[in-house]
Amino acid sequence: MKSNLLKADQQLNVCEEQVYKSVFNETSKSIFNYIYYKFGNEEKANDAVQEAFVKLWENCAKVAPEKAKSYLYTVANNLYLNVIKAEKVRLKYADATLKTTNESPEFIMEENQFKEKLDNALNSLPENQRTTFLLNRIDGKKYTEIAKMEGVSVKAIEKRMHLALKSLREQIDGI
Amino acid sequence: MQDNYLAKWLNDELTEAELAEFKKSEAYDTYQKIKESAAQLESPEFDVDKAWESIEETKSVEETKVFILSPFKKFLRVAAVVAVLLTASFFYLNTLNESYTTEYAENKSITLPDTSEVILNAESELAFSEKKWDTNRNVDLKGEAYFKVAKGKKFTVETAEGLVTVLGTQFNVETREDYFEVTCFEGLVSVTINGEETKLPAGNSLLAINGKSTMSKAIVDGKPSWLSKESSFTSIPLHYVLDELQRQFNVEITAKDIDTAQLFTGSFSNENLDLALKSISVPLQIKFNLDGNKVLFYAEEAP
Repeated sequence: MKSNLLKADQQLNVCEEQVYKSVFNETSKSIFNYIYYKFGNEEKANDAVQEAFVKLWENCAKVAPEKAKSYLYTVANNLYLNVIKAEKVRLKYADATLKTTNESPEFIMEENQFKEKLDNALNSLPENQRTTFLLNRIDGKKYTEIAKMEGVSVKAIEKRMHLALKSLREQIDGI
Repeated sequence: MQDNYLAKWLNDELTEAELAEFKKSEAYDTYQKIKESAAQLESPEFDVDKAWESIEETKSVEETKVFILSPFKKFLRVAAVVAVLLTASFFYLNTLNESYTTEYAENKSITLPDTSEVILNAESELAFSEKKWDTNRNVDLKGEAYFKVAKGKKFTVETAEGLVTVLGTQFNVETREDYFEVTCFEGLVSVTINGEETKLPAGNSLLAINGKSTMSKAIVDGKPSWLSKESSFTSIPLHYVLDELQRQFNVEITAKDIDTAQLFTGSFSNENLDLALKSISVPLQIKFNLDGNKVLFYAEEAP
């Protein structure tokens, strides 16, 4: 009896506005970033968020709340699969100048040069390496999370991460 | 060094020995710098509220679409319309009156639900509600009819000129333009004209022309004369007589130089036109001319 009640309680439906809204608040930004890292296109990233959540609403009865996140990533990912060419990813740097006011102008210039090199290196990375690197570094996603999003093993993500770092360093150091 | 050690390093998963070895490599400085710079990276702005709004909009649009396309809902709508039409037509047909009409030179015998008999004279119309008959013996009459009413509840004949109510009797009602005549053959008939009630005993007739009513003894031999194919009149203005002639024979009558207001007493056959024309013209000392279905009455030249 008790277990039945619990089960009924857990079967919160995504069709309920509250559940749906909370999934949206938790996941929308993350989907936006994911698609942006892949294709470097803000418009497409916004569209992907929209598309994924509308699809989720249409199929809300079929998608369990705990599966909602991976469902959203899959929809967003499939949306542009082989459809658009990746563009340059333009990322901003947090304004670190306040902390470094005591640094010499040479140091700041070197810093900026390094950032520019990193930017270029990031853009020359294969799409899957760049996405993995940025999801981990900017969004703080764990390798296991990224593995779920991309639908590959954790080992594969570690490999991508390793290769990403290696190519970045080689690009920057000009090897 | 283990596989993918760079990934492990970022994740702080290297052993101390491995880390020490890694730090000694010449690439370490650059890796460290990449790690530090990447920590300052930021993703582009994302407007959560705007995204939510546009999703809500799309959702409501999609919902409307689903509603329109749903074939079951469409079926329900059609079914609802059909149901309404069926119910409406059922009630409409239920309240519709039974109606009988006669043309020129035609008589019709009708038996009412309570076995009362009605015989309709030419160019007349009788209507009654069969459904309500049990509670309400009520008929609408235009023209002339003879009633043989079975005993029972109040029986009412409604005409444009007045009401005739009885309980069970035999009587004749004739309504033509400005002309209303009720003849009672048996029992007692109550006639109401403009709210004024007149009791009409057997063997009497009530005649109202242009609203002026007169009661007179009727020549009664059990049933009205038109039932034995004869129309009879007692002091009736000539033009009503000619109208009746028109109705009985389906002819077109014109009167030339004749006072049609003069009173006529007499009768004519409803079967033989030549005989009927003579029955009217001889006592009035007028002449007639019959041409096809056109009849011309004209004054006899003064001698």
